[in-house]
Amino acid sequence: MEDKEQVNQDTETYGAEDIKILKGLSAVRKRPAMYIGSTGPDGLHHLVYEVVDNSVDESLAGYCNNIEVTLHHDGSCTVIDDGRGIPTDPHPGDPEGRTAAEIALTELHAGGKFESKAYKISGGLHGVGVSVVNALSEWLDMEIKQNGKVFQQHFDRGEPSGSLTLVGKTRGRGTKITFKPDPDVFETTEFSYDILSQRLREIAFLNSGLKITILDERTDKKQEFIYKGGIVSFVEHLNKNKSPLHPKPIYVSGEKDNIFAEVALQYNDGYAENIFTYANNINTKEGGTHLIGFKAALTRTANSYATSSGLLKNGKEASLSGEDIREGLTAVISVKLHNPQFEGQTKMKLGNSEVKGIIESIVNDALGTYFEENPSVTRKIIEKALQAARAREAARKARELTRRKGALEDTGLPGKLADCSEKDPALSELFIVEGDSAGGSAKQGRDRRTQAILPLRGKILNVEKARFDKMLASEEIRILITALGTSVGTEDFDINKIRYHKVILMTDADVDGAHIRTLLLTFFYRQMPQVIEKGYLYIAQPPLFKVKKGKTEKYVQNETEMQNMLFELAADDLMIPIKGQTIKGKALIPYLKRLSKYERLREWFGRRRKSPEVLSRLLKAGINKEMLKDQKTVEKLLSGIKKEMPDISIGEITPDEEHQAYSVEIRHHNTKVVVDTNFLMSPEFKELENLYGIIRDLGEPPHNAETKEGLKMLNSSEELLDHIFGVAKKGLTIQRYKGLGEMNPHQLWETTMDSEKRTLLQVAVEDTVQSDEIFTILMGDQVEPRKDFITRHALEARNIDI
Amino acid sequence: MKITCPICKKTTTWEENPWRPFCSEKCKLIDLGKWVLEEYKIPGEKTEEEKDETKESNEPPRRRDGGVSKK
Repeated sequence: MEDKEQVNQDTETYGAEDIKILKGLSAVRKRPAMYIGSTGPDGLHHLVYEVVDNSVDESLAGYCNNIEVTLHHDGSCTVIDDGRGIPTDPHPGDPEGRTAAEIALTELHAGGKFESKAYKISGGLHGVGVSVVNALSEWLDMEIKQNGKVFQQHFDRGEPSGSLTLVGKTRGRGTKITFKPDPDVFETTEFSYDILSQRLREIAFLNSGLKITILDERTDKKQEFIYKGGIVSFVEHLNKNKSPLHPKPIYVSGEKDNIFAEVALQYNDGYAENIFTYANNINTKEGGTHLIGFKAALTRTANSYATSSGLLKNGKEASLSGEDIREGLTAVISVKLHNPQFEGQTKMKLGNSEVKGIIESIVNDALGTYFEENPSVTRKIIEKALQAARAREAARKARELTRRKGALEDTGLPGKLADCSEKDPALSELFIVEGDSAGGSAKQGRDRRTQAILPLRGKILNVEKARFDKMLASEEIRILITALGTSVGTEDFDINKIRYHKVILMTDADVDGAHIRTLLLTFFYRQMPQVIEKGYLYIAQPPLFKVKKGKTEKYVQNETEMQNMLFELAADDLMIPIKGQTIKGKALIPYLKRLSKYERLREWFGRRRKSPEVLSRLLKAGINKEMLKDQKTVEKLLSGIKKEMPDISIGEITPDEEHQAYSVEIRHHNTKVVVDTNFLMSPEFKELENLYGIIRDLGEPPHNAETKEGLKMLNSSEELLDHIFGVAKKGLTIQRYKGLGEMNPHQLWETTMDSEKRTLLQVAVEDTVQSDEIFTILMGDQVEPRKDFITRHALEARNIDI
Repeated sequence: MKITCPICKKTTTWEENPWRPFCSEKCKLIDLGKWVLEEYKIPGEKTEEEKDETKESNEPPRRRDGGVSKK
């Protein structure tokens, strides 16, 4: 407050004639609550504020820098300031010739603040003054240091026990008031250090540079409050345990028509609005014209910035509401004015109508300038408001969605739902089926007593010419929520209203199916995690193959199961010599599995342009990372391979310093294997090395395979494996299901829906956390890792196995 | 269990969190809004690529990252 310094240090202008007399103090003791609000703890502490406020008024006028508050053992309290001291000369208007100080302490509504020439601005308890404190104290001691002299006066229950007496000399100045609250008046007379220190800190914030000390002699607790930053420090203090959006609070101030207004504000990443308003240091808890003016200016300035900067696009979000803009806002508004009018129930609302326009124009100008000059902070603020607006809109839409009747039947259930007749949720199942045709089959094949069918198609969006995006239409989400009966949203959702204790996702085993499933899993995880927690969510396991042999039919769930079945069939009629012994029947199966794994892994390397032949040769030569440490050994190894595979070309042997070893490149046609420590230690190569045992066990080709039809000699392990599958598939018809729709109702029932035969995967929270991560990546902006994820994870959805 | 809020990416917990898996009511509402306004789309693959990538049983036997030597 710059005007402090501008005030002349002139004690003479504050004389006895400035004190006006308004009689009637005895009423205070009769009705204390009328003056201090209550006789409880609030009223008690108000006594201290009242005295302190007088000192603060001196500070506002520019004469006081220090205030000390001391709580004594006997329950009394001392407030000392270094202001001018209450005038000690006789009051000119007083017929009894009392001093102005005595009048200030004994007459109601007597005080310098009623003559605005002495105090431009003042708080006080709305003008009741220190006389009220005196009236409600068992005793009060006043000491005034003024013009080199020290004066004292003592009061009992508001009555002076003598007149103001000169007691000594001094170099200091100021007023010291010690008072003991009257136990006849107050329900409790024990001061709370915490309550007082909180308010004193607040006062220190509101009066930058003013030092306030509080000492509790009862506990020796002491604190000193001085804030050069004023209300900026206040805002920082309020936000100290939060994460601010911008490092420094925004400060704006201005003065107009003798009204001084300042605002400090800072946004944090929370959602609460936290605005403190003050008028002449009084906490206007009910707000008032200063708050209204501030809000109006903030809303206007933010909207005009958002529009002009293009952050606010016309149409969807036409304007930001004040509520949105104030989300996460911490602000302190302080106005200092001449003649504050307090209104409202507790007199804690500022009523001066002129304040609104003034603060509005100050904030408009200053904040507008700040926004223009600090675009990065402003952008964050506006984006936060936009997010708040979106959340509000989302909540509205969600309510609308579930409360709208739409295409519901008389039962209140969607027409697409084929419900079950069972009403007990514990016995009811809901199949969410992808696609209308599969939905049709499921409706015909189901057990209509306990099984309900809801077909969902998802919505396909043709984004580019060759790309089709998948989503759940909002109508589908609505139907799903209605069928479940739980409603949705933060207030309305109720898991206890769920109509089925088994919700089963039944989707095709293709990319589209995986996408619909990922969408549904994510929706349940995010908006209805309780369904998963309760164990109500399942995934159906339709078969991937139908195998026919003669007249018998068999359904096979997945690739692994298919392969196992083929090996079992092959082993029935096959004899293969392994490690010199002929193995047949069940004993052969583990060998076949290993051989198949080995071949599949070799193929995998082949697809990565690493020649499987070269890898086999390396394994045959018994390569390991120790061999790479010696150049001679590497050379020997390579020449051995070159002899067996003359069409390879071997690069230069180069040092691999990171592993103190050597590295070499082997090319074979258009493939390339870099043989180095990293490669040999890779999990894939180690796995191949591990599986190579089967090749050793088989020995050198040709491999003999004997069946009822005779002996066959195969020239490589690949040919052997092909032959094995050939033997197994003899007489079989294998049909691969591409979609649920390829099954007729009976087949669908038999394989997937019949609770006696089916397999269901129960979805657990941990699985959906992963699924959500996949979803997030799918939604992400990075195109490359996203593509990778689609092919590696989402397509398989194996991670959902439990 | 520590989880990441799907909307604002803040770390939060599953237990004793009424807005799980979100950090707050606000984030949960924003997510709901995105479903309702059909903002969640799973991008499809280009059709040419699909032929190549989705051939049957061409998956590596185990899923590991960075296994193959990078040169």
